[in-house]
Amino acid sequence: MSGIGPLEPGEGTHAWDTPGPDTHPEGPLRTRPAHGPIARFHERHRRASLAALALILLLAGGSYLYATRRHTPPPAPSLPPYPSQVTDISYLDAVATPPRDAGTRSFSFAVLVGVRSGPPVTVTRIAQPYAGLSVTSEPRPPFRTKAGTAHNVAITMHIKECGKVPASAGLPFLDVTLRNARAIQVHSFILGPRYAQALSQALQVACGNDFR
Amino acid sequence: MRQRSLIAITAALAAGALTLTACGSRGGDKGSDSGSGGTTVIIGVDAPLTGDLSALGLGIKNSVDLAAKTANKQQTVKGITFKVQAFDDQAQPSSGQQNAVKFVADKNVLGVVGPLNSSVSESMQKVFDDAKLVQVSPANTGPSLSQGPDWRTKKVRQYKSYFRTATTDAIQGPFAAQYVYNDAKKTKVFVIDDKKTYGAGLAGTFTDEFKKLGGKVVGTEHIDPDTKDFSAVATKVKKSGADVVYYGGEYPQAGPLSKQIKAAGAKIPLVGGDGINDADFVKLAGPDSTGDLATSVGAPVEELDSAKQFVADYKAGGYKDEYSAYGGYSYDSAWAIIEAVKKVVEDNDGKLPSDARAKVTEAMQNVSFDGVTGKVSFDEFGDATNKQLTVYRVENGAFAPVKSGTFTG
Repeated sequence: MSGIGPLEPGEGTHAWDTPGPDTHPEGPLRTRPAHGPIARFHERHRRASLAALALILLLAGGSYLYATRRHTPPPAPSLPPYPSQVTDISYLDAVATPPRDAGTRSFSFAVLVGVRSGPPVTVTRIAQPYAGLSVTSEPRPPFRTKAGTAHNVAITMHIKECGKVPASAGLPFLDVTLRNARAIQVHSFILGPRYAQALSQALQVACGNDFR
Repeated sequence: MRQRSLIAITAALAAGALTLTACGSRGGDKGSDSGSGGTTVIIGVDAPLTGDLSALGLGIKNSVDLAAKTANKQQTVKGITFKVQAFDDQAQPSSGQQNAVKFVADKNVLGVVGPLNSSVSESMQKVFDDAKLVQVSPANTGPSLSQGPDWRTKKVRQYKSYFRTATTDAIQGPFAAQYVYNDAKKTKVFVIDDKKTYGAGLAGTFTDEFKKLGGKVVGTEHIDPDTKDFSAVATKVKKSGADVVYYGGEYPQAGPLSKQIKAAGAKIPLVGGDGINDADFVKLAGPDSTGDLATSVGAPVEELDSAKQFVADYKAGGYKDEYSAYGGYSYDSAWAIIEAVKKVVEDNDGKLPSDARAKVTEAMQNVSFDGVTGKVSFDEFGDATNKQLTVYRVENGAFAPVKSGTFTG
């Protein structure tokens, strides 16, 4: 506010266009008589026109300052979370192998696929890392899971070559491709010791002495 | 009267214009670090603040400082002002133990974040536990610290006052083995460690899983972490025919080791754990380190929106040192202490009870919040329930994430 004086005369002050007691009415402020209608109007409405001028200047200055103010960037639209950060896949238990795979060297187990928050997540692929195994699931990918929900997925492992499967992996995992509105990611879900034990037992039963 | 009205309107408009201008300038709010007054609670920090590992230690200290300042600014615990007291352990167990004694002696210390090294933690745990002073490590990965020496066969919690936000090597080692064997298609490993709790333990969990998968260990060696001449070991690696080297230890040794192995003619990747996941590793290992791998705890920062806020706040905090590999975990460790203090104060009519340390330790077991690194809570052993890991690969002179995994067992 510095530099801005009193807007109205206060005690001990006076308007600058009001002649003071020691000022000659025709003093230095008025060196020439007013001529023409604008000048006469100005003369008659001097205070009003000065106030209007001040108003215009203030509005112009205010508008300039407002237009050239430091712009705060609008808040970035919040992106949905990455799918791997909101998706849980956990081991449930062994389940019966689907009829179409019965008789083959296969075994099945159920996992729970859940999404905690954000937009729906689609599982587009389920894989596992061992060269001697392949995997199918029911439902088959792609399938979608909404936030706040979870559903069972039956995973079936197919043993193709006993020499290329681990006899007793400690922390085996599934590689799952997840997609949501933010990204597509391949994420490893390490299903824990119960899955490791079930996998080892199933492989022992299926491969027996075929292990190296 | 009319004239006065005009002047009054002018004044009102002028004030309005100035108000608009003021509304448009919000960038200057620097906030306040002033506390919420009342009682002062000290959060201790123990980490290597000098020496080879200081890059990690200073990141821990600064991140705890940021958490305390944030809590004070937000008045997270009414009537409590948090202060940080940091001691340098120089990565030495004896120094760590002395620091633990000093923390215990200061009654205002209600929690300690640290240390970095598992071997240092071993020397501090009992001191803290005897005093019922809670300890939250952002970086210890040795499984025995929380699950006992026989953790492979029978897990037994060692100390009720010990917690950590980092994932253990019981997961990190096997995760690395799975990646090296299945994804990188390496089958012959030469395993080296520095004989310390962290390095030897991690090399052990890696080796166990690598062998279970069908991989072969074609050589093993221990190095002296006090030297930087690894030429004899490098020659052995070259002669072994290994297609990958696994090193259990930290970057001050891992960098020169990688460089000297390549110089010996073995153009094979060196793989390590979170202890080598630092920019200094790449500097020390040189340009031939491209393709070297490191696992580290947690998801990549770019996947965690909460981490982005931390990164921005850290930058705004003006800290000279990087937050490094454990910055987010350190912030979360400090925030876990703050949350525990909050619970204790709220349960005691807004004041700290006389047995505050014991109560804070008790409250820590049930702490749960969305932190920088994701959901922060602790299991029955005091270990982090959020068990994410990432494999990083050296590309273009820096570690870049290549694969992440989550332990859901």
